[in-house]
Amino acid sequence: MTDVAVEKDQDSLGVLAWIGIGIVSVAIFLAVFSPWLIPYDPTQATENVSTPPPPLSAWPSLFWQTIVGDGPTPHWFGTDASGLDVFSRTIEATRTDLIIALSANIVSVIIGVSLGVISGYFRNIWTETLLRTSDLLQSFPVFITAMILVALAGRSWVNIVLAMSFLYAPIYLRLTRTEVLALRDRSFIEAARALGKTEFGIARQHILPNAIGPSLIQFSVTIGFAILLTAGLSFVGAGVRPPTPEWGSMIATGATQLVLGDWWPSLFPGIAISVTVFGFAVCGHILEKRYGR
Amino acid sequence: MIWRFTLRRLAVGLVQLSVLIVAVFFLIRLLPADPVSRFVGLNASPEAYALAEQSLGLDLPALEQFEVFLFGDDEEVGLVGGELGTSWVTGSSVNQEIRQYLPVTLELITLSFLIAVGLGVPIGVLGAVNPGGAADKGTLIYGLFAGSQPEFSWGIIFIFVFFVVLGIAPGPLGRLSPLTDPPDFVTGAITIDALLAGRVDIFLEALWYLSLPILTLSFVLSGPIIKMVRENVAQTMNADFMFYGQAAGLPRGILARDALRAAFAPALTLIGILFGFMIGGAVLIESIFSISGLGQYAIRSILAFDYPAIQGVVLTISALTLLIYLAIDVCQALLDPRVSV
Repeated sequence: MTDVAVEKDQDSLGVLAWIGIGIVSVAIFLAVFSPWLIPYDPTQATENVSTPPPPLSAWPSLFWQTIVGDGPTPHWFGTDASGLDVFSRTIEATRTDLIIALSANIVSVIIGVSLGVISGYFRNIWTETLLRTSDLLQSFPVFITAMILVALAGRSWVNIVLAMSFLYAPIYLRLTRTEVLALRDRSFIEAARALGKTEFGIARQHILPNAIGPSLIQFSVTIGFAILLTAGLSFVGAGVRPPTPEWGSMIATGATQLVLGDWWPSLFPGIAISVTVFGFAVCGHILEKRYGR
Repeated sequence: MIWRFTLRRLAVGLVQLSVLIVAVFFLIRLLPADPVSRFVGLNASPEAYALAEQSLGLDLPALEQFEVFLFGDDEEVGLVGGELGTSWVTGSSVNQEIRQYLPVTLELITLSFLIAVGLGVPIGVLGAVNPGGAADKGTLIYGLFAGSQPEFSWGIIFIFVFFVVLGIAPGPLGRLSPLTDPPDFVTGAITIDALLAGRVDIFLEALWYLSLPILTLSFVLSGPIIKMVRENVAQTMNADFMFYGQAAGLPRGILARDALRAAFAPALTLIGILFGFMIGGAVLIESIFSISGLGQYAIRSILAFDYPAIQGVVLTISALTLLIYLAIDVCQALLDPRVSV
């Protein structure tokens, strides 16, 4: 029964995996090529204020018009209360959010994994202190701490990245250290030592490559968290400054128009963020199922 | 046995909390923010600036500030006396403000958890009973989806659908209609206070106003709960004692019940961790639905650089989280004596 269940489970992952990979690829594609894809300047107001998006039935003809270059480019997702094109901003925001989330995770992985290798391989008072500090950081309330760090240090994207690295590095440190502890007494490490390699060389050449796996799986999951955190911070006014296109701040500005019935300025960035984080969550899940313990 | 374990865990928790107090206090002051000019304005004269700095106590060296925070001065008793200080913005005691806002948040997340667990556990079990079946795939995808979602975006979608379009839910105006007199403040949780005052109508109205925030939160929370229950139950279903049960020809329902019991311990841990997380994570939901809880208080204090209030919020949340972890550990030890050894 066990084997059948596992096989079925992987089978069912097939379609889901492709959905996840598809979403993530599209998100990365949009982030890289957004300047060539968007019809309007995302920070430049047009004279059309609060225009609703064209009805779906009109899309094919409008699409044809755009291709042959006849008439003005339509506002596919409408415009918000300041006349900014929601479509262009939603696409351009992919870039803002993805860059912040990716940078934060890369910094966290670099810091977390190297400190994890060090604290797992060399065990002394300093690495013990390091470990306790990292545990302490993990007991901070994540969202509120991020808000404090960014609001007090200044609302720039560098500070957001730093604040998130501060909060996420301990996750990677823990994961890596657990792996290193299992590795350090294995015979191939002993063999390397017998060959006369330096301790640092062993840690770098033999421990690191074998201990980084779980962190790479975690990477995909944490990018989703980081996107949510980035958007959440600007949603409450403690993230990147407007008019920088960013999903969270777009949803917040759009929300004020919601009671008037203007659903488009907040709905489209909302869909974008929902789909993107779902894609990263799926990829994380697949990686964990395939390569995890 | 269990008492010694509890005491030991409590001691560890207290040490953690003390270190956290020190860390938060100095971390805030290490950041390049200037709360003084925030209060007197950027164009204030140097004298006014110095005066404000003095009245906020920021003219002292950081270590002395910490001493005042801990042991108080002529006016206040300090943290040792149980006081978190005075808010720079409102001028009232941070203790009192937290006493007012915390129950609101606890009420919101407790109700959301009840719904999320009540729905998530049966759905998760349903998925695990028949691995690979349609129900299993469905719960897996739902769990992954709901667990990854931004609650603020869904809150807004729910407001639009249920309030603006359908008109069957109240608007995001807080915990009661602005025209209703709130019940006397006893616990701070409006549903309980209404019941204490014998006002069933206000109790129902409060639930009515909380319905959308609860729907949003329980939607997001149900994701990880379903995912975890599904995995744990599926794992237990493969345990030896389950094979024995199957071999003995027990019906599926009874097998599922046994598996659920065995899967309970890890579930308890996750629910505890999620609960602790939500105390500091309900910020965005409170902001969307204008619920004046701890999260709204945190946003206001942080954006106003109100250091005493910020410290108070972080310490309250961390202390509560540590307490919850302690409670989980004790429950685990009670369920499974091997834990406390």
